[in-house]
Amino acid sequence: MRAISLLLLLGGWLVSPAHATEAQDWLLRMSAAERTQSFQGAFIYQRSGSFSSHRIWHGVDASGQVRERLLQLDGPVQEVLRINGRVACVKGALAEQVAAEQAWPVREFDPKQLQEWYDLRVAGESRVAGRPAVVLAVAPRDQHRYGFELHLDRETGLLLKSLLLNEKGQLLERFQFSTFEPGQPADADLQGGADCRQVQIAETSEMPPNNWRSEWLPPGFTLNSVLERRSAVSKEMVSCLVYGDGLARFSVFLEPLRGAVAEDARSQLGPTVAVSKRMSTDEGDVMVTVVGEIPLGTAERVALSMRSGLAQNTP
Amino acid sequence: MSREALHESLSAVMDNEADELELRRVLNAVDDAEVRDKWARYQLARAVMHKELLEPRLDIAAAVSAALAEEPAHHVTPPQAVAKRWRLLGRVAIAASVTVAVLAGVRFYNQDGLGEGTPQLAQQAVPHSSVASAVQGAAVLAGYSEEAVELAPSITAPLQSGPTWQEQRLPSYLRQHAQQAAMSAGGEGALPYARAASLEAR
Repeated sequence: MRAISLLLLLGGWLVSPAHATEAQDWLLRMSAAERTQSFQGAFIYQRSGSFSSHRIWHGVDASGQVRERLLQLDGPVQEVLRINGRVACVKGALAEQVAAEQAWPVREFDPKQLQEWYDLRVAGESRVAGRPAVVLAVAPRDQHRYGFELHLDRETGLLLKSLLLNEKGQLLERFQFSTFEPGQPADADLQGGADCRQVQIAETSEMPPNNWRSEWLPPGFTLNSVLERRSAVSKEMVSCLVYGDGLARFSVFLEPLRGAVAEDARSQLGPTVAVSKRMSTDEGDVMVTVVGEIPLGTAERVALSMRSGLAQNTP
Repeated sequence: MSREALHESLSAVMDNEADELELRRVLNAVDDAEVRDKWARYQLARAVMHKELLEPRLDIAAAVSAALAEEPAHHVTPPQAVAKRWRLLGRVAIAASVTVAVLAGVRFYNQDGLGEGTPQLAQQAVPHSSVASAVQGAAVLAGYSEEAVELAPSITAPLQSGPTWQEQRLPSYLRQHAQQAAMSAGGEGALPYARAASLEAR
């Protein structure tokens, strides 16, 4: 009897890491599938105040080149054509706020590293867009990030559905395929068309000089990029620091106030929170605004911990 | 300390009449579930009195006290400053839902005068609580609740006094954040694109 219970205990202990490994394998499969699998389909995106549907064509040719075209089906036309992950052209307002010559070092998708900040496990099975799917629960290990529920296509490993959940289990955002069909799309569907605007995004590996640093960051988040852009409202130069943990990301905007009247503010739009804090510096007051898919308290703390001056010890 | 004293302090904080001692008392008790519950109900009652919308699930008290605890500078803040902070907080809590209505119409300011119809405007003025509350608790195999689409169009755009500093900039910040994610190199898939597109819609 004792032997059996010991065996059960041992079994339970052995099973949980195996589950984690299985979940990791599925995530690796998912990230590889984007580069190897061809498909087309339609999906919806829903958050508070917004619901939209989109088409996607995703083709991988014999040489391994990945072409992906995304098209919004309702409202104004929004369209993006990507070639090997890089945006080739855009229709609509989607790239308006993207300045040229910005550096975005690619952060490799690394489920092993994710495991430090999220608990990964296979949570069950489901059916999405008429296809059998595996459900992965990606639960945060601390209060500084949200959890995901990912449904991956059993056959291809591709992401068919993604739910973003806050700490109370409330749904913040839904991304879900309604139709999905594996196989190479027609060539014509993978072209951007004549009025698809080219986007020049120069990539550099060097980060521009940065006069800001954060005294506190949620564990696992690192600085992904630094950019400067002129504000459309005030013509001031606004610094923007982008941080990520491999899954979630947030941006910190720093704009000089020059005596303007502005109060601290916080708001939430679907999955995205925005927190503004006034901060005094030697060169006058600056408004720090944290925008990202992170909990309110975390954004608040990040906003409070921004400091001017060059970083003494960059992580 | 007695419950009554605590509740009195809480009430004082809500009415912006708290002195430093009362503030500390409330801050110390913020971990107490009952006190937090009471705080939430006070907020709700106030909001109802002002006929304003409120998101009680947005636990601002907890978030802010956590942030305060992390901020060494404020341990020595003079009482007036602290009181001011709390007064702001009360206002912000109520203003939050209004701000969201503004944010939901992200393109509102940019497109004003471009002949965008008014029906869309009404559609955008949607309290952010609706979807979250209607579909809550849905983990695995979340079912879509029909309630989610019944959105109360009860907020009118708070534009009488002109857009504030925040209202002018937040839409642009949000779009920049979303577009940088969507346009960055690396196969992050369709989700960042969909997020960015949702800010351009309508």
